[in-house]
Amino acid sequence: MSGARPWSRRAVFRAAAGAGALATSALAGCAPSRDPGEITFWNFYGPNGTPKSQADWFVKLADDWNASHQVKVRLRYIPPQEYQTGPTLQTAFSAGAGPDVFLISPGDFLRYYNGGALVDLTPHLSEQARADFLPGVLGTRTVENRVYGLPMEIEPLALLYSEQAFEKARLSEADVPKTWEQLLDVGRKLTTPDQFGMLLETAPGYYQNFTWYPFLWMGGGSVLSADQRSSALDAAAPRAAMKLWQDAVTTGAAPRRVRGKGANDSISNLAQGYAAMQQIGIWAVAEIAQQQPDFRYGVAPLPVPPGGKPATALGGWAMVANAKGRNPQAAAEFVAWALASLDDAGVERCRQWNTVAKTNLPARASVRDAAAAHGAFASGVMRTFADVIAPTGTPEPRYPPELYRAVSDALQSCQLDGANPAEVTAAASDQINTFLSRYEGAAIQ
Amino acid sequence: MTEVLRRPKTRARRGEGRAAWGFLAPDGIGLVLFVVVPALLALAVGLFDVDGFGNIKFAGLQNFRLMAGDSVLWKSFGVTALYTVLFVPVAFGVSLGLALLVRDHFPGIGAVRAALFLPNVISLVVIGLLWQFLLTDKTGIVSRILGPLGLGDVSWLGDPALALITLVLISVWFLAGYQMLIFLAGLQDVPRELYDAATVDGAGAWRKFRHVTWPALRPTSFFVLVTSTVNAVTGLQAFDLVFVTTKGGPANATSTIVFYAYQQAFQFGRFGYAAAICAIVVAALIVITGILFALTRGGRFDED
Amino acid sequence: MRTETPRGRIGPKAVFAYLIAFLTVLPLLWLLLSAFRPGSDVLSSSLPTKFTLGNLGYVLTQIPFARYLMNSAFVAVTVTVIALFLHSMAAYALARLRFRGRGFAFATVVGTLLISLPVILVPLFLVVRLLGLVDSYAGLIVPGIFNAFGIFLLRQFYLSVPRELEEAARLDGCGYFGIYWRIILPLSRPMLASLAVLFFLANWNSFLWPLAVTQDESLRVVQVGVSGLQGQYASQYQYVLAGAVLAAIPTVVVFLIGQRRLIDSLKTTGLK
Repeated sequence: MSGARPWSRRAVFRAAAGAGALATSALAGCAPSRDPGEITFWNFYGPNGTPKSQADWFVKLADDWNASHQVKVRLRYIPPQEYQTGPTLQTAFSAGAGPDVFLISPGDFLRYYNGGALVDLTPHLSEQARADFLPGVLGTRTVENRVYGLPMEIEPLALLYSEQAFEKARLSEADVPKTWEQLLDVGRKLTTPDQFGMLLETAPGYYQNFTWYPFLWMGGGSVLSADQRSSALDAAAPRAAMKLWQDAVTTGAAPRRVRGKGANDSISNLAQGYAAMQQIGIWAVAEIAQQQPDFRYGVAPLPVPPGGKPATALGGWAMVANAKGRNPQAAAEFVAWALASLDDAGVERCRQWNTVAKTNLPARASVRDAAAAHGAFASGVMRTFADVIAPTGTPEPRYPPELYRAVSDALQSCQLDGANPAEVTAAASDQINTFLSRYEGAAIQ
Repeated sequence: MTEVLRRPKTRARRGEGRAAWGFLAPDGIGLVLFVVVPALLALAVGLFDVDGFGNIKFAGLQNFRLMAGDSVLWKSFGVTALYTVLFVPVAFGVSLGLALLVRDHFPGIGAVRAALFLPNVISLVVIGLLWQFLLTDKTGIVSRILGPLGLGDVSWLGDPALALITLVLISVWFLAGYQMLIFLAGLQDVPRELYDAATVDGAGAWRKFRHVTWPALRPTSFFVLVTSTVNAVTGLQAFDLVFVTTKGGPANATSTIVFYAYQQAFQFGRFGYAAAICAIVVAALIVITGILFALTRGGRFDED
Repeated sequence: MRTETPRGRIGPKAVFAYLIAFLTVLPLLWLLLSAFRPGSDVLSSSLPTKFTLGNLGYVLTQIPFARYLMNSAFVAVTVTVIALFLHSMAAYALARLRFRGRGFAFATVVGTLLISLPVILVPLFLVVRLLGLVDSYAGLIVPGIFNAFGIFLLRQFYLSVPRELEEAARLDGCGYFGIYWRIILPLSRPMLASLAVLFFLANWNSFLWPLAVTQDESLRVVQVGVSGLQGQYASQYQYVLAGAVLAAIPTVVVFLIGQRRLIDSLKTTGLK
C-alpha cells in the first residue's frame, strides 16, 4: 500500500483483517458473474513450484483434463508458506471468490465443512473407487458416510538419523533409540558444540501438534474421550508425552528453534548437520535424494515409552471442491477424475505422484500395487516405511481450531517455557471441555 | 495572515469552497472508497459471527464478552503492552542520540546517515529472513561471536524470556534510522542564536540540550512518539516480523495482539471475534494518542 | 554542542559515528556477501572464501524474477506519481483554502492514519472486486494511492508558504487551479521529491495486498516473489538470499539518491 512507512496502512494492524467478511457475504450476491467454463485450482506445487517433478505433475494433470473436457482447469500456484499460513485463501473465500478446487489439510477440514464450503464428492465416486482407497484414509474426509475430499497421499512420520553423526559419536546402528529413555540418552551423546542430538518441531502450528500425537498415542493416550464428548488430556499418557518434549529441550539435546522451513525440512536440519536425528515424514526421502543424494541416513520407527506400543501419525493433503465456487459440479468431477479414476491412466497418474514426483505411500490399493510392481517399496528406507512404520499409523485427526489451539498452547508452554505438564494438560482439558459443550458441527473424530 | 484571509465577498468565498472541494475530490473519494467504507464495514463485523464462508449471524456484544475468558488474548495484550513499553522509549532514545551524533558536519557524514537509515529501506520480509539466519541456535553467526562470552547456547528467538526482547532490538535496528531523520529535520530548525546565547551564559552541553534543544524538539517528539506507538501496537514489526520469524511462539511469548487477531480471522475463520479485538485496539490507540498529545502539550499540528 | 568539533575534522564523535554506522550495516553486508556464496558454503558462519554469481543467475533465469522486479517497479512508480499529484491537490485545499467543513475534512484525513490495511483487508478486497479490479495492475495500483500520510505532510508544508505569492498570482488573474499549478506545485518540488522516495519504498516493499489481490503469475511483485522463494527454497538459502538482495537493491539506490532531500524536506513540514 502506499504511504510512508510509519503510517502505512500495511503497517497498522494486520489483525482484524478479516473483519469485512460481513460486507463480503452481504454483497457476494451481486458479484460479477464468473465464467463457469473455467475452474481454478489453487495449490502449492505448480506451475512454478519446486521441486520441478511435483510442479510438472500438476501441470500435466491440468493439461490432461483440459485435453478431454469442456470445462477447463486453470492452475494457480501459491507458495507453500503463503498457502498454509497466509491470508490468500481465506481472503478469497470471505469475498466469495474462493478457488473451485483446492488442497486442504486435516486441521482445516471441519472449518471448511462446517462453513458449507465443501462439495459432496460421493455422487462422482463409484463403489469400486471408494473401495479402492485403503481402510481409514477416507475417514477424516468423510461426514455421515459422504466423502468430501480425496487424499493425495499417506505420509507417515519416523525417526531419521545421520549415519555420519552416529559414527563420529562412536555409535552404531544398534544404538538407534527404541525407547524414550534411549532417545534422550543418545540425543545427549550426539550433541556437540556444532550439532544438536535430536530435533522435534518447535514452532507452534498444526504441524507441531501432528508430530506430537504419535508420542501421545504410544502411551495409550488421546486428546478426546472415546465418545468425543470430553477431553482425555488430563491423564498420565499426555503428561508423559509433554514431559518427553520438555526434557529433550531442557537437556540441550534438542534445539529451541529449527532451521529452514521448519521441522519438516530435512535438508536444512538433518542433512546439513544441524541435528543428528530428526522426527520427520516420508517426504524427506525424496527431498534428500533430490537435493543431497550423498547424505547417508537411516530410518527407524519413533521410540516408545515403557510399556507403550509403536505408533505414528499419517499425514497428507486432500483435494476438495468448493461448494460456493463457480461450477461446483465440474470441480467435484475434476477431483474424482484426478484421484479416483480406476482406469490405467488414473492409476498411473497417482503412482507418478506418490512414488515418482514425490515419495510417500499411496492412498489407494491399486496404486500401491502398481507402485510395488515398479519396485517402489522393495528396498531401503521406503521398505521400512511401508512395511514397519506405516502399519502402526493413525491418520492425522481433524481437530477444529479451538481444539488444536488448546493442545498447541499446552505443548508450547511445556516444551519451551518449562511449564508443569500436569498443570498445562489440566488447563487444556478445561478449555477443550468448554469448547465441546458449545460445538455444533460435524463429528470431530 | 488571517487578516488577509478574511475577504468580505461571500461570492468569492463560495467560489473558494467549490474550488476546495474540487481539489479534495479525487483523493477524498478514494480515501472514502478504499479506507473509510472498508473500515466501517470492518468494525461493524465485530457485532456478528462471521465464519469467512458467507455465513453471518448477528451476535450483539457476544464477541466482546468472549474476550473475558480468553487467556491467550490477555497474554497477547500483555505482549503488545510490553513490546510498546520497551520499544517506544528505546527507539526514541537511540534515534535522538543518533540524530545528535550525526547532526554536525564531519567527513563522510552523508554515508554515515545513509548507513544508519539503510535497514529501513529493506522490506520486513527480507529483514525477518536475515535475522532468522543470523540468530540460528548454536550455529548462527551471533551465537558463534558470543560463544566465547558463554552465550553460545542462548536461543535468541526460541527462549520465551528473550524472544520479545530480541524482536524489540531488531525493530529498533530497523526503525531508529527513520526516526533519526525526523529528529534531524527538527534539529535543523533550532535557532543557532539560542545556542550562542546559552554559550554566553556559560551553559554546558547538558544544559543546552535541556533548555534549548529539548523544548524546540517537542513537536517532533510528539510525532515520533505517536508514530512509534502506533507502529509498536499495530505496525510493521508487530505483525510482519512476528509472522516471518516466530509465528507468535515460543509459548505465545511474541503473540502480539495484531498477530493474535490475524490468526483468529485467517487461520481460525473467526472474523467477528477478530474485528471486535481490533475495535478495542483502535479505541486504545485513540486514547494513547490523546495522552501523548497532552503529555507533549500538543504537536502544534494545527497551527494556522 | 554545535561547534565543539570544528567543521570537517574527524573527532572522537565522528569515530563513534563511523563505528555505529558500520555495526548497523553489518547484518546487511552479511546478507549481501551470502548471496554470492556457493550453496555448500552459505550456512557457514566463517568469512567467505569463495564467491559465485551463480545464485543471482539462477534466480534471474530459472525463476521469472526479472518479471517480478518489473512489476514492482511499474506499480511503485505509478502509485507514487499519481499519489503525489492527488495528495498535493488535497493538501493545497486543506492548507490554503477556506471552506465550510475544512476542519471535518482534515480530521477525517488524519483519522484514517489510524486505519491499516490488515483491519480492512477483506472489505477492501470486496470493494476492489466490485470494481472489477481483482487480478489486474489496476487492482495493485489504485488502492495503494490513497493514503493520508502524504496529504498530511504536504499540508504541513503548504501552511508555511507565504500568502503574498498567492496574492500576486491572483492579481495576475490566476484562478485557484492556476495558483496551485503555477505557484504551489513548483514550490513543493523538493518536498514532493522526498515524499516520492518514501512512497516508492513503501510500495516497493508492500506484500500483503499484492498477495491477496493478484492470482495471475504474470502480476507477481517482488516481495511476494521473495516470500515464495523462502517457502520453496528454504533449504537452499543461497537462492533466497540472492532474491532478497535483488529485491533490496532498487530501494537502496532510490534512497541513496534521495536521502539528502529527505532531511531537508522533512524539516519544513512543521514536525520540527
